[in-house]
Amino acid sequence: MLEKGKIGGRQAVYLNVTMIVATALLGAPALMAAQARQDAWLSSLLATLLGIPLALLTVKLSSLYPGKTLIEYLEEIIGRWPGKVLGLLYLFYFIHITSIMIREYGGFLVDALMPQTPLIVFNITVVAISAYTIKLGLEVLARAHQFFFPWIVFSLALTFLLATPQVDLTRLLPVFESGAVPILKGSLTPTAWHGEIIAFAMIIPFLAKPDQARSIALYSIGYVGVIFFFLVIGSLATFGPGIASMNYPVLNEIRLISITKIIDRMEPFIVAIWVTGGLMKVAFFYYVIVLGSAQWLKLRDYRPLALPLGAILVALSIAVAENTMQTFDFIAHVWPLYALTAFEMGFPVVLLAIALARKKGESALD
Amino acid sequence: MGIYFRKRKRPRPIGVSEKTSPPDGNHNSADNTSESLLLSTDIEENLQYLQAIFENCSDVVYREFLLAQQEQIKLALIYTDGLTDKSQVSEQIMRALALEMSMATDSTEITRANALHYVKMRGLCIHQIQESQRLEDVVDAVLSGDTVLLVDGHATALINGNRGWESRSIEDSKTEIVVRGPRESFVETLRTNTSMLRRKIKNPNLKIETLQLGQVTKTDIAVAYIKGIVNEGLVSEVKKRLGRINIDGVLESGYIEELIKDNPMSVFPTISHTDRPDRVAANLLEGRVAILVDGTPVALTAPYLFIEAIQTPEDYYEQSFFASGVRVLRIASLFLALTLPSLYVAIISFHQEMLPTPLLLSIAAQREAVPFPVFVEAFIMEVAFEIIRETGIRLPRPVGQAVSIVAALIIGEAAVQAGLVAGATIIVVALTAMASFTVYYSGSIALRLLRFPLMFLAAFLGLFGLISGLIIMVVHLASLRSFGVPYLAPVAPIITEDLKDSAVRAPWWAMDKRPHLIGQNNPRREAPGLKPHPPRERKR
Repeated sequence: MLEKGKIGGRQAVYLNVTMIVATALLGAPALMAAQARQDAWLSSLLATLLGIPLALLTVKLSSLYPGKTLIEYLEEIIGRWPGKVLGLLYLFYFIHITSIMIREYGGFLVDALMPQTPLIVFNITVVAISAYTIKLGLEVLARAHQFFFPWIVFSLALTFLLATPQVDLTRLLPVFESGAVPILKGSLTPTAWHGEIIAFAMIIPFLAKPDQARSIALYSIGYVGVIFFFLVIGSLATFGPGIASMNYPVLNEIRLISITKIIDRMEPFIVAIWVTGGLMKVAFFYYVIVLGSAQWLKLRDYRPLALPLGAILVALSIAVAENTMQTFDFIAHVWPLYALTAFEMGFPVVLLAIALARKKGESALD
Repeated sequence: MGIYFRKRKRPRPIGVSEKTSPPDGNHNSADNTSESLLLSTDIEENLQYLQAIFENCSDVVYREFLLAQQEQIKLALIYTDGLTDKSQVSEQIMRALALEMSMATDSTEITRANALHYVKMRGLCIHQIQESQRLEDVVDAVLSGDTVLLVDGHATALINGNRGWESRSIEDSKTEIVVRGPRESFVETLRTNTSMLRRKIKNPNLKIETLQLGQVTKTDIAVAYIKGIVNEGLVSEVKKRLGRINIDGVLESGYIEELIKDNPMSVFPTISHTDRPDRVAANLLEGRVAILVDGTPVALTAPYLFIEAIQTPEDYYEQSFFASGVRVLRIASLFLALTLPSLYVAIISFHQEMLPTPLLLSIAAQREAVPFPVFVEAFIMEVAFEIIRETGIRLPRPVGQAVSIVAALIIGEAAVQAGLVAGATIIVVALTAMASFTVYYSGSIALRLLRFPLMFLAAFLGLFGLISGLIIMVVHLASLRSFGVPYLAPVAPIITEDLKDSAVRAPWWAMDKRPHLIGQNNPRREAPGLKPHPPRERKR
């Protein structure tokens, strides 16, 4: 096997949570509020509910082919060449969303921390550090991530708590103002984020106890749901549905924090902690890409692919969008359909159907 | 090659044989090939042999005398002056054999043929005697401080264990100071050190295996562990790594540390060193292995985890609440020692909005006259501090105080007044320096080194640069292992049970298990339910 390391259940949950939350926390409340207005918190709950079947789908597929990653079992399900083609598409998909992530992330750093620094500086730094991490293997990635994870959660909790003086829950009223449809629309993007759990299919074989995969996936979706919920409630109750026009509502929420003029303007700190989360997310997807490519090409080692693919990611991250608004527009309007209909839900459902049918056929032959 | 160079299984590295040849290199060259050279029955021949080996070794003493018997039996003592207890040599060996043996035995019984037996059984008043027929054992014994007794007509040497040399007495630990707890520290003599361990752990399961390393120095190394607690795989791994070592000399345990380290290219120590017997004993009780080296008071213990940088022996002696508080303080110091200068640089150059306005204004006012960017300023001061620290260590004691006053005055006061640096920078540098001393010494070395690259990163990319540096550092730490144990345990991978002895130190009744990854062989170190409580039901 390409990867010799094993990761524990808890590490996998942490990885999954960061993999979904880290970039989503920047703009998620705004994207949901753009559709659902003050009912965005309902959207986030709905998205979590919709995320559960996606997680189960991912895990079910992997459980039919134990010890194989997504790229590997594709070929088993639909045959060698179609499998190769679909595998390539999946790799393209991962490369695409990773480059968007890097773009989103670099853009955020430029906007929030260092407006005069060129975007590419951040993109290169993020990819370089991720490349270093994945060269050391999945175990190291999981361990380093485990080290940072409590800080990320702590910073989110701290944000929420310190922002309570600004919170006014009446801003959530009236509930259900314009019916169910906007709530459903608002939940599309977060559902697509939950659907990123498909990347988990690439590391299920490396779990120390693969039979835990199901509960790991469910716990991950649950934690992500809780985090989304609090992020949305926090920024909605602070600003009201006006967050729809903000780029980074959670960041603005932090900017308002001022406790006796001493704890004041603490966003660089919080941002610095988020940087670790975003970096770990990029590193994780980068790892998935590199590992997947190596398996697709049937190489014996994935490490030589790290730098070339990193170069592609950096270049794409600049080319993928012209500016932050375009990035968010893509994430809000294009990506959910593209992700959900094809890679996160559409393909897995079809694959599962074929796989189940084949398994049934095989057992009938026996 | 000298004859007392034992045969080695592995080929000797090229060039070592010439370099390490002792002065007698040419003697007995004909016998080089034989595995072990035996003594002859002729005492004169043996003496000639030994004198040839020890040619120009003015500290080796030969003393020939006669046994106090009717038959003239010649004896010879060979020992190294200064390594042997001379009063024992004269009282218990020479006096006993040359004068008193005739009183103890019927003199007619002793003949040339049984002299050796009588000398050993009746004559010598030495507690530890070994017999050997091999010349190289004799040479080793003489060089180790034992006294060798040769008896004419016998091809066997009696090796008397009466080593005794000048050594430092046991003193307070110089590097790890405690308020509460044992004061003693190791000394340069291996036997004294092992005896200190044995006194703390009176158990036959405390195993102390010795071996010799260093082809020239022949330094004694002791590997100590507690059988039944330690993981046998760890012991064999330690021995395997020690067995790899083929070096001319081992003068300090640092040689060994670098030769058996897991990741040789890391600035972080993965083997701990200490001069405190209580620390070593505690480590052994947790299932670690200790390596003691003759000639140095510094012992090594492995595996060493990152978390140990904030643990001191005293934490386990003081009450747990206080110890936990101090540990939190040390974690904060560790963080400050690593990042404070870079945080300062990042905030002053990029994120001024983080400071409360009055503070920002006062710093800006201080920096008005300073001609350098804040990074240059902080960098100069950090370097200056490192110079002062190095001076403080190397200075001869008498001038030390004078120089430190000058340094403090010049760096502290004059530099600010001259407008070279801002007062705030001095505070930052001083706090960083103080903070780095709260952390376990060899851990703080890594922090000292990494502070500078972090400052560079902070100067270029602000907080993002600093965080990037920290991420790289953590990723590197996560990739390290010390003898198979992940370096960041018990934090990553998280081991809930072991968190009792991390940022907090749980009371002894709660720490009932050994560290999971180290002591898994014998996980329980105390009975459960030891928490003291008043009797449940009062007797009436």
